[in-house]
Amino acid sequence: MSATEVLWWIFAGIIVITSLGVVVSRSVIHSAIFLIASLAGVGAMYVFLMVEFLALVQFLVYGGAVTVLVLLALMLTRMGAGGNVERANGPQAPFGVLVAGALAAVLITVAVGTAWPGNTDEPTPILIGAISDRLFVDFGAPFVIASVLLLVALIGAIILARQEDE
Amino acid sequence: MVPLENYLVLSAIIFSIGVYGVLARRNAVLVLMGVELMLNAVSLNFIAFSAYLDPDRIIGAVFAVFVITVAAAEVGLALAIVIRLYRNRSTSNVDEAASLKW
Repeated sequence: MSATEVLWWIFAGIIVITSLGVVVSRSVIHSAIFLIASLAGVGAMYVFLMVEFLALVQFLVYGGAVTVLVLLALMLTRMGAGGNVERANGPQAPFGVLVAGALAAVLITVAVGTAWPGNTDEPTPILIGAISDRLFVDFGAPFVIASVLLLVALIGAIILARQEDE
Repeated sequence: MVPLENYLVLSAIIFSIGVYGVLARRNAVLVLMGVELMLNAVSLNFIAFSAYLDPDRIIGAVFAVFVITVAAAEVGLALAIVIRLYRNRSTSNVDEAASLKW
C-alpha cells in the first residue's frame, strides 16, 4: 500500500466520522464544526483526484462561505450553546436509519458490482484550462443562466430576511 | 493508486448519512446541513467519474461547478427562510411549522 493510499484511507475515515458527527451531534454548533471538517475532507478528496481548481473552490465556497452562513443563521435564531439540545431528532429518526441504511446498501452494491467502462485504476488530472474550455465554450448558456440564478437568489434572500417594522 | 470504486463507496456513504440527517433532524438548519452533505456526495461522484472514465470531455467536473453554484444560492435562500420562520413563529423546528396559514 503506497503512501497515497494510506493518506486516502485516513481522509476517508475523517470524512465518514465527521459526517456522522454532523447528523448525530447533540449540539448544533458541534454539528456546524463537524460540517466544516467534512466539507474540507471532500476538498482533500478532490486533491487526490487531481482536480485542484475544484478543490480550491470547495475550500472557499463550502468551507468558508456556506459554513459562515450556517453559523450566522444559528446565531440569529439563537440555537447556539444550550438551546434545544434535548430533542435534536424527531420521532421518525429510527425510520431514517432504516432508509439511509437501505439506500447505502443499494448504492454500494451497485458501485462495487458494476463493471465500469474505461480505466478505473488511476485518475487523469483535470487541469483548470480544460474546465474553462468546457465551461465557457460548450456550457456558455448555463453559465450565464447561473449568474442570473445567483442574482435572483441574492435579491430573494434579502427580501425574505428584511425587517418590515419600519 | 486508489481505484474508482473507493470514491463511489465513500460518496454513497456520505449521501446516506446526509439522507439520515434530512429525515431525522427537527431543526431546519440541521436539515440543511444534511442537504449539504448530500450535495457534496453528488459532486464527489461527478468528479470521480469524470476523472476516471471521461477525462477527455470532463462534463462531470463542469457539472460539479454548477452543483456548487446552485448549492451556494440554495443555502442563502434557505437560511433566509429559516430566519423568517424564526421571526414569525419563534421556532426553527420543521415539525412545529406545520400550518399553512396563521
